[in-house]
Amino acid sequence: MNTNQDRQRLMNAPINRRSFLGMLAAGAAVVGVPSLLTACGGTASTGSTNVGGIATTTDHLPTYVPITYAEPDYPSVNGSLPGFEKIPEEFVQSVDAPPGKGSSFTAMTPLWGTPPPTTGNQYYEAVNEMLGSTLTFQIADGNEYGTTLATALAAPKDLPDWVSVPTWNIPPRFASEVVPNVFQDLTPYLAGDKVKKWPNLANIPTAAWSYSSFDGKLYGLPFPTGVINDSIFYRDDILSELGITPDVKNGQDLIDLMVELTDPGAKRYGAHDMWTAATLIHSVVPKWKLTDDGKLLHRVETDEYREALEWNAAVFASGAVHPDVDNTWGKQLFWDGEVVVINDGLGSWHENLAQMLGTNPNWSQTPFPPFGADGNDPTYYKGNPCSIFSFLKKTDDEARVTELLDLANVLAAPFGTTEYDLIANGVEGVHFTRGSDGLPVPTELAASEIQPTYMFLVDGPEANAKVQYPGFVKESSEFTQLAASYAVEPVFWGLQISEPDQYASIGQPFEDLEKDISRGRKSLSDLDAAIETWRSAGGEELRTFYQGILDES
Amino acid sequence: MSLSTDERAEQARTGAAPERRPVVQRKISLATRLKRDRSMLLMTVPAVALLVLFAYIPMLGNVIAWQKFSPYTGFLYSPWVGWENFVRVFSNPQFINAVENTLTITLFQLVFFFPVPIVLALLLNSVLSPRLKTSIQAIVYLPHFFSWVLVITIFQQMFGGAGLISQVLRAAGREPLTIMSNPDTFLLLITSQAIWKDAGWGIIIFLAALSTVDPSQYEAAAVDGAGRWRRMWHITLPALRPVVILLLILRLGDALTVGFEQLYLQRDAVGAATSEVIDTYVYFQGVQYGDWGFAAAAGLIKGIVSLALVLGANKLAHVFGEAGVYKRS
Amino acid sequence: MSNATSEVTRPLDTITQGKPPVRRRRRSKHRPAWEEPATPVGLALKGIALTIVAGVVLVPLYSIVLTSISSKRTISEAGGMVFVPGEITFDAYVQLINGGVVGRAALVSIGITVVGTIISTVVSAMAAYGLSRPGTVWHRPILFLFLITMFFGAGLIPTYLWVSQLGLIDSYWALILPGAVSAFNVLIMRNFFMGIDNGIIEAARIDGASDWRILWQIVMPISRAVTAVIALFYGVGYWNAFFNAVLYIRDTEKWPLQMVLRSYVLQGQPIPGSAGTSVDVATGDIATLAVKMAVMVLALVPVLLVYPFVQRNFAKGVIFGAIKG
Repeated sequence: MNTNQDRQRLMNAPINRRSFLGMLAAGAAVVGVPSLLTACGGTASTGSTNVGGIATTTDHLPTYVPITYAEPDYPSVNGSLPGFEKIPEEFVQSVDAPPGKGSSFTAMTPLWGTPPPTTGNQYYEAVNEMLGSTLTFQIADGNEYGTTLATALAAPKDLPDWVSVPTWNIPPRFASEVVPNVFQDLTPYLAGDKVKKWPNLANIPTAAWSYSSFDGKLYGLPFPTGVINDSIFYRDDILSELGITPDVKNGQDLIDLMVELTDPGAKRYGAHDMWTAATLIHSVVPKWKLTDDGKLLHRVETDEYREALEWNAAVFASGAVHPDVDNTWGKQLFWDGEVVVINDGLGSWHENLAQMLGTNPNWSQTPFPPFGADGNDPTYYKGNPCSIFSFLKKTDDEARVTELLDLANVLAAPFGTTEYDLIANGVEGVHFTRGSDGLPVPTELAASEIQPTYMFLVDGPEANAKVQYPGFVKESSEFTQLAASYAVEPVFWGLQISEPDQYASIGQPFEDLEKDISRGRKSLSDLDAAIETWRSAGGEELRTFYQGILDES
Repeated sequence: MSLSTDERAEQARTGAAPERRPVVQRKISLATRLKRDRSMLLMTVPAVALLVLFAYIPMLGNVIAWQKFSPYTGFLYSPWVGWENFVRVFSNPQFINAVENTLTITLFQLVFFFPVPIVLALLLNSVLSPRLKTSIQAIVYLPHFFSWVLVITIFQQMFGGAGLISQVLRAAGREPLTIMSNPDTFLLLITSQAIWKDAGWGIIIFLAALSTVDPSQYEAAAVDGAGRWRRMWHITLPALRPVVILLLILRLGDALTVGFEQLYLQRDAVGAATSEVIDTYVYFQGVQYGDWGFAAAAGLIKGIVSLALVLGANKLAHVFGEAGVYKRS
Repeated sequence: MSNATSEVTRPLDTITQGKPPVRRRRRSKHRPAWEEPATPVGLALKGIALTIVAGVVLVPLYSIVLTSISSKRTISEAGGMVFVPGEITFDAYVQLINGGVVGRAALVSIGITVVGTIISTVVSAMAAYGLSRPGTVWHRPILFLFLITMFFGAGLIPTYLWVSQLGLIDSYWALILPGAVSAFNVLIMRNFFMGIDNGIIEAARIDGASDWRILWQIVMPISRAVTAVIALFYGVGYWNAFFNAVLYIRDTEKWPLQMVLRSYVLQGQPIPGSAGTSVDVATGDIATLAVKMAVMVLALVPVLLVYPFVQRNFAKGVIFGAIKG
């Protein structure tokens, strides 16, 4: 078991239908109260803000002081994850002594797996010892984390000291009501050169901090991520068994291949719900598209969106989709070989290796090289600068905030440090042994005790260092480098925009529509009607709102 | 839910049954009575305390329906907005859709679910062997005690895309079933689930009513030459009438309440357009989307309409000379 | 009593009064003399109908139980749910009991059910008795307090906000207290207590017994049937409660079994095994489906265990007056 694999479970969210909601939530659900809109002045100590709570200055952001502990074998290209093929000879201890003061804190994090034991957990003990304080986790179900967050945030009294918030789970009214009322403003602690007190936090890129700012103040501690999140994978082990060599150059090729792979008698289907794949190959924007004449088109209004729907409907109509698509986790079907092609987060790649190699040494999956539905090059839109952030519960106790930041500084240690190694791999001799090549070999205890907990709070710049799977770093790094070369920043990229309350839910009907049209239960004319409804229900005002932001920047 | 009862208290007051304290109560001072009944009152304290804490205080909490409520400012400091939330509720197409779905489900189940226990009861009542009858009863009551999660999971394992029946279909080269996720047949699906879970349990009340029929009535009718069906029409069914009316009233009072958990659990599979009912709508608007005042207003409207429906239906029953659920003393 | 006070009637009780279920025809297997003999067709139809009714309930349960104890081979031969017994193995259960999540959830559910049922039954019995003697001071207004809650609920939103205000989020008490007292159940018990001969109670009182002693030593022992039924209602309620956990429990460690059932069986997420990996991965020879079905059986078992003991009490007429249809 390794940590990054679990961190990247985060990115696997697009596999289920939560994805679109998630994407919407990241933007649409971040809402602002009217007062925010008028409060343009900001305060003296923090940056000023514009419409949508966007800072016009960068005074509130921490100074970026990059540190390098290890040189990547596959450097970042256009924002792809740097890849490390080998473990450095020596790990560097980036924080001298346990910085904590022995206090106890609670933290809430999502988990897509089995909660580790709470008592006698040597991993917790080791990391807490390194921190010098005790962090106790309340682990919530990752698949229901949006619900859990919404209910938890409504009871601020019982909120843990430190709360992890995936960007796709951001509840409505988050920016307007939740953040200022519930969470600690970190600007006074981290703005500008103040961050230098915590070098590992200063090593986090500015875009991630910027995305963690609300209304010109810094609230979130980021978990920075690479720009490419989703891919279309296939089981190359199964394909080679069947003697099929895929040559997929366009959308129709993919459908043909999935149909060819479908054999209900053998309980094998070509596809799960390919909606994310559809948006990828059709280059659907995450939220807004800037047309050539400088106008904003909402995602659902674009031709790409319509074509993606049409394509996904064709996938369903082809009969290649597994009949259990709506009530069985796609990953499970992919594991079982019942589904051969799937769209999933990039992180699922090595996560699946970890899951499957033990029982199936021949397990293999690989992504299709990037292609557009029409055979041309695709355009990939970069994901948010951080896919998850965490917040500290509001407190007047400055010492407590400082202590938590001390801990965050340890947790944010990047690849190549002893801190990173402990958090990722646990204790040598307990959670892993070193193989002859110096690579960590996890023990059985690691599987049950090391689950992503600390890393869902804050993290250094992401790196791909899954050295334990032969060939993986090379293959995946080369793929992401290639994919990243098609990546562009969508309009408003990296901006944490607070939309007014009333638009919080106007995007909801599209989530159902995507399902219904794909499954042939509704037609594209229903999409037209839904777009009309959207426009009259506030879509046009929303466009004006965003146009205003665009004009000002 | 049926109410019961104060029959014996009635009798007590009218002197038909022995009084607990036959002494003339009116002359005893309140203080004395309190002292005398101290223990009896104390016994009710825990239950009353729980009701106050978890039923009455939340009832008062409905004041947030008139507020732009935020849990961070609390109801003491949240701004009052008059009837704005109610206006928004009534002008909201999603709420209207939820009401429509709710009423559709209620009506559909009234037609297709409600008669099932009656038929079952008649069938069971005609079984002569007590052993067989008890066994069948034990079997059909059972699903009532399963959770909705379990019932829906069972349905999925039977009728889902990978369920038992789809398996057979697939083996025969046919298309698997899609009813677990098809919005068009959703009404049918949830009604079947409701029947499977609760129709058996529903017969208990009809069997009770049937057991009160004096067998000599049947005998007399049989002697007069009435056949099996005539006896059912003239003796059995009239015996069921008060129960049927009682249950109809109760169902009417519950018209706006349709299986919350059942629908919540299947919302993902068929989409909100078909499965959203008032209760799930309130939950999502409030807890999920944080529009607390709005959601509370929607919930309050439902509560008040339901109350009015029960009271109205009960009145109607009285007009028709039935006992109804409760009566005024 | 003022005119405004509603008096509740028991329509069915009125019907059944004085006639606890009479076993008219049942006493003998023979048909009453006046009834015409059964036609073969009628008998056959009846037999078919009863078989279908019983089968609709039993067949799914049979298949679930059978699948849960089938080997991976049998399951893959069957292509899914097993209908014809093949290789039998209890590995799925062993896996569940060893594996953290499901076993822990079962313990949580058992704990909540036991504690909740005891609290609810005791509190309800006390209230029911406290309100059962006519003439007790204030018993009508208190009764009224119970009745109102049956017709008008506070609603989900205020209840949720209040429970979270009370600091019960992520506490097992949030799964117990909000629904601990059902006015309906209190009324059923009260109804029964009211039927107890006043003479017994008065005699005890003359002997100097306190109301508490009368309740525990006289009333409760002769009310076993109704208590068992009420305890079953409460117990099944606690065991089956699902949505409260969605609302109030965020820590997966505190999940009751129904939540686990939903995540791993209904939603098809991989069931975590003891080693932190998914069950079918950890132990290659156990079918995922068998484990899922074993979770279902686990959720069924307590109901099946308790049910036969209580089921015969349904027939005793104690609750006919107030059973929901």
